[in-house]
Amino acid sequence: MIERFIHHVRVERPDPAETAAEARVRLADKFPRTALRRMTHLGLLTGVVLEKVPLSPDDAVVYASTFAETRALEEFLTSFPAASPLLFQTSIHPGGVQQILIGRQQPVSRLWPLAGRARLVEHALLTALMEPAAQVILLGGEERGSWMLDHQMAAPRAFAFALMLTRNSDGAVGRISFNPDESLDEACPSLEEFSHILAERQPLSWSGSGGGWNLRWL
Amino acid sequence: MSTSADQLEVGIEACDCVTPLGDAEQTHAALVRGEIALKLTPILGRDGGDEVPLALLGAMDETIPPRWLPDLHRLIAKIPPAAWGSAKFPVIVTSSNFGVGSLYAFVRDRDPAHLVHSTPFASVELLRREFGWGEQIHVFSHACVSAHLGLAHAARLLHAGIAHRVLVVSYDFVSSFVAGGFHSLKILNDAMPAPYTMRATGSIGLGDGAAFAVLTKEIRPMRIAAHALHNEMFHFTGNQPDGAGFDACATAIAAVTSGRRLWVKGHGTGTLEAGRLEAEAIARRFPNAPLVGWKGSLGHTLGSCGLVELAIALASLRAGQVPGTVGANAPTFTNSIARTPFATAAFDGAVLTSNAFGGAHAAMLLTHD
Repeated sequence: MIERFIHHVRVERPDPAETAAEARVRLADKFPRTALRRMTHLGLLTGVVLEKVPLSPDDAVVYASTFAETRALEEFLTSFPAASPLLFQTSIHPGGVQQILIGRQQPVSRLWPLAGRARLVEHALLTALMEPAAQVILLGGEERGSWMLDHQMAAPRAFAFALMLTRNSDGAVGRISFNPDESLDEACPSLEEFSHILAERQPLSWSGSGGGWNLRWL
Repeated sequence: MSTSADQLEVGIEACDCVTPLGDAEQTHAALVRGEIALKLTPILGRDGGDEVPLALLGAMDETIPPRWLPDLHRLIAKIPPAAWGSAKFPVIVTSSNFGVGSLYAFVRDRDPAHLVHSTPFASVELLRREFGWGEQIHVFSHACVSAHLGLAHAARLLHAGIAHRVLVVSYDFVSSFVAGGFHSLKILNDAMPAPYTMRATGSIGLGDGAAFAVLTKEIRPMRIAAHALHNEMFHFTGNQPDGAGFDACATAIAAVTSGRRLWVKGHGTGTLEAGRLEAEAIARRFPNAPLVGWKGSLGHTLGSCGLVELAIALASLRAGQVPGTVGANAPTFTNSIARTPFATAAFDGAVLTSNAFGGAHAAMLLTHD
């Protein structure tokens, strides 16, 4: 069995109708003004869930997003034929978390950006649990798309979450474990469902990747 | 700056690639001959624009089905059979582009059929259906170190006992989307790349490329013995000016190579500042190792470069000869740059490195009998 203890959990699930511009106003006191105007909605929410999370160069970060920087992608496409360099670099996965870590000038040993869908939560957790780093930050999130959402190619709402995982049970608020067995894959919670479960501190279990998953709160 | 290497040795059961110069053996042979696949091509394909160096497998246009699918079919046909996509035989797909060029085509043509394979998950779902894989497909995307992450993750799955064998697949095909993006950054211009060369203006080329590797914990004649990763987080498109980021990754992989006689395949896109920092860091950590780079011919295959260039490195070992740094000219940033082919007989390992936006660095140690 592989297990890690949860020492920090924070979830941002703003009003589904919130725009990036509204988020900049709501969160203006959390970011430098010069950075704020360039940050994406997902970057802003990622910054909030990482607020007060101490990071060191020895840490590893796992970052899960199916759609990632949707709005930068949409706007970059409409900037042609005079393609925007800022939108290009922002649109590249994992721009959401890089906005924050570059803003903090915070190096990390390993950054694992995942971009799947059906089993994204499971694979992100597996990546985090296999990390040898003493502290692993598991991040996830999306931002609401505009025209790509009309074609089911973007998330319908913005959200972000952060978990700080260690091997130390002292002071932990939760525990996530993977127990290898012969069970067949069951439906894996979506990234958005997982963020809701974290926000509500609900227990969770399912089978996948050749084992049983269990999330419980202490 | 603290970073350490994963020493989780895995055997390479099979590995191949496809580039505009052919499969791994053909690409290796062409590189040894000094052939350059890059050609000056309009940046927006049939929509015109400035001409920039691109190495393409066919015309750069977005088609339905996507132009990259037939090339992937030919490549995937070489993979040894297994229940790929199951828990014990997971697939890891890495890319920085997936099918993103189709979004450009959708905006241009308004044909929603382009959207079917445009996002990472949609592109991977197309592969899953085409190749009959199961749902256990891990997807990583970290710009130009994506393939290294896939290979490192595979080693962890194998050593954790979660997987018996792992298939890593990476594909990146150039589109107006990505060419326009790099052109906007001014590093993709009308000059051919000259990796590690001191000159007035830097330039890169972009190339189509795809590759796969089947990895196992069983001992094989060729092995990946270690991985090192590091993320500077200094700037989106720049590195720490003192080269500390390059040093951190090179130091970590050098720590597990003591006593080996190595050659190094670097990133070597053709940019000036990153090229100089990279060459200097490698010369410091591997003072006796010749440094080569192949993007002066193949262009930068982006998220797939780590796996495409692994396949070419393996072909080099089989042939007993390493291609030189095609496109490089004197003077070079360091004396260690090998501009012409050399024999592998004097070496017992190779370090393969890649770098990416955000100051991401990756290196792996390739060993062999």
